[in-house]
Amino acid sequence: MLRYITEWFKSLYSVWRREFTLVFKDVGVLIFFLFLPTVYPIIYTLIYNPEIVVELPVVVVDHCATTRSREFIREVDATQAIDITGRAASLSEAREAMNEHKVYAIMEIPSDFDRQIGRGEQAVIPVYYDMGLLLRYRTILMALSDLQIAVGAQLRGEVLENIGLPAEGMSETPINSEAEFLGDRTQGFASFVIPGILILILQQSLVLGIAMLSGGSAERRRRNMGYDPMEIDAPPTATLIGKTLCYTVIYLPMVLYLFIGVPHIFSLPHDGDYVHYLLFILPLITASSFMGIMLGTLIKERESSLIVLVFTSVIFIFLSGLTWPRYGMSPFWRAVGGLVPATWGVQGFTRMNSNGATLGQESESYIALWCLTAFYFVISYLIVRYRRARQRRLQWAVKQSEQ
Amino acid sequence: MKILYASIKRELRVLVSRPLYLIMMIVVPIAVSLFLIDLMRDGLPLQTPVGLVDLDHSSLSRRMVRNLDSSELIRVVSDDDGVHEAMNRIKSGEIYGFFYIPSNFEQETLAGKSPTLSFYSNMTYMIPGTLSFKGFKTTAVTTTAGIVSAKLTATGVEPGVVGSLLQPVVVQDHPIGNPWLSYAIYLCNSFIPGVIGLLVMMITVFTIMSEIKNGTSIGWLSTAGDSMIVALAGKLLPHTVIFTAVGWCCQAIMFRFNHYPLNCPEWHIMIAMMLLVMASQAFAVFICELVPNFRLALSGVSLIGILSFSIAAFSFPVESMYGAIGVFNYILPVRWYFLIYIDQALNGIDLFYSRFYYIALLVFLLVPLTGLGRLRTISRDPVYLT
Repeated sequence: MLRYITEWFKSLYSVWRREFTLVFKDVGVLIFFLFLPTVYPIIYTLIYNPEIVVELPVVVVDHCATTRSREFIREVDATQAIDITGRAASLSEAREAMNEHKVYAIMEIPSDFDRQIGRGEQAVIPVYYDMGLLLRYRTILMALSDLQIAVGAQLRGEVLENIGLPAEGMSETPINSEAEFLGDRTQGFASFVIPGILILILQQSLVLGIAMLSGGSAERRRRNMGYDPMEIDAPPTATLIGKTLCYTVIYLPMVLYLFIGVPHIFSLPHDGDYVHYLLFILPLITASSFMGIMLGTLIKERESSLIVLVFTSVIFIFLSGLTWPRYGMSPFWRAVGGLVPATWGVQGFTRMNSNGATLGQESESYIALWCLTAFYFVISYLIVRYRRARQRRLQWAVKQSEQ
Repeated sequence: MKILYASIKRELRVLVSRPLYLIMMIVVPIAVSLFLIDLMRDGLPLQTPVGLVDLDHSSLSRRMVRNLDSSELIRVVSDDDGVHEAMNRIKSGEIYGFFYIPSNFEQETLAGKSPTLSFYSNMTYMIPGTLSFKGFKTTAVTTTAGIVSAKLTATGVEPGVVGSLLQPVVVQDHPIGNPWLSYAIYLCNSFIPGVIGLLVMMITVFTIMSEIKNGTSIGWLSTAGDSMIVALAGKLLPHTVIFTAVGWCCQAIMFRFNHYPLNCPEWHIMIAMMLLVMASQAFAVFICELVPNFRLALSGVSLIGILSFSIAAFSFPVESMYGAIGVFNYILPVRWYFLIYIDQALNGIDLFYSRFYYIALLVFLLVPLTGLGRLRTISRDPVYLT
């Protein structure tokens, strides 16, 4: 028994060492393991770092042309979101400017705007939006609805005075309301999207690298009549754990860089405790690693690993709930998403990073990640055991023929 | 003509030689389209789970809670006695925001002390955060309006005038082309062509560089009468046909079967899809000429393909990006497709306004001509570099 255990640890060590050699001799794999996690976060953050959209060009059609309408336009122009870039004589002229992609919205002030307000009637100002991007629409809309409330309260007092009623206290609102934004406090795009992207980068780079290693092994097997000379003959558990240990060691500096360095460098939200982060990321690495080993068995050559796996990033990002929340998915897709380590990684890590949640509060995701680790371990164990039996037979056959 | 035909026949044999090609060219694009469309079939994720912290327990606060419940954007799933508990629910992901009514709220309101309502939205998740904010804000505004209107009536304002006094100015929004404010149509119309563009680029690099890796490029070139352009045409035309047909199929799934807005004649967007496929192929050929190394070329196009989902500004506008990043848009075929989609399918404006986008996609087809000689030299003497 004791001998078996010593043997096991010995083979674990040789698998671990061999895997290191394989990884560091292979530029293709190094691109995934080292280059991709280093460079991608920087590119992504540079894309989104301007964070918010400001001074969107809007054109006005002012049919009223009175002091009051001009005053209203000035107030719109003064908002951070909107920049009144021009005036058009008619709606069709304004439409032309929008078609030529010069402005993203048209505000039309009706000719009786001033008169209606004077009479205490409701004045309606239509705004036509170019819906090409929701972010632009949302930015203009929010600025205008805030303005509508502010201008409304101010006009109310004025109107009441005009019709000879006490205006005392009518301009103020009876209730104040205050919106607090948690997590991504500035509502910036980079702060929202990057923490989740980091998790996906971790999983995908690991899976791609491992798949490429398996592709290489498959090519060697093809050249050697189904036998891979670089593979250590070890118990399946030692093979799996040894490889995963090797990847974990390589990814340790990457994890420090991705989850502590990147948010720090780009001043993204960064609330939680580092120790909790690291403990949380560990099962993400092991689960992704075993999933990678499992998927790797489908890969027949080094290059096809890219073809088969790269597009899955799009699927995984949607399943993770980063863009489309998980509660809005059908139970089927929620379950499918639950099988992807990055889903739980994104759910748990974004809340730890941006909301300062503790590991205890993310226990659901944390446990799920360990369960996935076990799940993919068992599947890859069965595959590796089958492979080893075959490899041994082949080895034996080769020896026989040599004699 | 005969040699072109021979080259095409040769490529058709390559395509059926292994399942990888047909799976990646036909099954995956259609499966991804069905996945995205089904995942987001509601258009907008309604009923965001939110929490409530009501410390007042008055008739006014109960009225507000009823208002919250009636909003389709949110669904109140928890009721706590303190901010701390609600905050914990946010941190564990149970709720995406909560509405806070302080104690003595009704009393202070009636006394004219203007108490403060607070609502918290978790912007760590942009869509649920935004939707909960909207739901809360609407409730706050409705409540305020209710109180002001009661006050106005008490002052002696005629009931008919109260309405207009509540909101003397109304900004009425007309979201042209997407009145349902559906997120799904944006995400599907950018991600599906993005995936198609990515797969076209990868398969193109894969099929060209496989010839060079396996040393079969000599045969490839000789079948085409030693003409690089015929060899490429023979190789890529079958791909163009398959990918364009698959792309049209994906468009049919969106526009015809799922009734996504299509405000232009169908052929405007179909031509755009065909040009997207061809421009992506040309882009990939150019990468092969530039970096004639299988793994690097393939890594290059996957990197560009994946980044194009972000750089091509489907959600974050180009003009807000740093200039140095924004310029990369000009070299991404899918960016031009997306602009055509917005002009034509969504806004339904005249083809004239989109003319430059179509031209841009056509320009891509000329780019690989610059490196044909280089590609031929390599194909004649294939040395696979590891």
